[in-house]
Amino acid sequence: MSTILYVQTSGVDTPERTYAPFILGTTARAMDIEAEIFFMIKGITILKKGEAEKVKIGSFPSLKDVIDQAIKAGVKLYICEQSTQLFGMVRGDFIPDAKVAGAGTLNDLSLDADSVITF
Amino acid sequence: MDATTEGGTSYLSDIAPDAELDCVGLYCPLPIARTKEEIENIEVGQVLKVEADDPAAEEDIARWAKRAGHQVLKFDKSGNLMTFWIKRLK
Repeated sequence: MSTILYVQTSGVDTPERTYAPFILGTTARAMDIEAEIFFMIKGITILKKGEAEKVKIGSFPSLKDVIDQAIKAGVKLYICEQSTQLFGMVRGDFIPDAKVAGAGTLNDLSLDADSVITF
Repeated sequence: MDATTEGGTSYLSDIAPDAELDCVGLYCPLPIARTKEEIENIEVGQVLKVEADDPAAEEDIARWAKRAGHQVLKFDKSGNLMTFWIKRLK
């Protein structure tokens, strides 16, 4: 099976950039493609507990709904917890569906994926 | 991880390491960087025991070992503390 890795570096301060990886990932799963999203830099703010509930733009559903849909579809989520140290955020305050990972994992996932798309 | 690395009470539970590395309190990417340095200080076939408490290390070290061509003989997790027994293969 093919795999697409999405790298999300944008956060909730640019809400229009937060939906795409989840929607693409959910669609990938419907196409029998493995989908992974790696959150780093500002992207980690999306997975901070309670943040996605606050994001809803245009005619899109809330970001929380889109995330839940992606998780249900089998999209795997990885989070670079070390990115918290860029912003003085606390560690460990993320939704439990995301696996904490780091530089070695992102390098490995990117080499194993058939395509890497960055937002 | 493969079957030989799962669980904390396998038949490999009494592996005697040839060297030990304490990465407790270190965060990504330091556990990988220090593990790479230390594994080069043991001989091929010998075992390095690594302790870490950065949650990222669980996935990172397993993937590093596979990519670098070494074998995680055993992985143990107790609370936040993780222990890896890594055999240098090359």
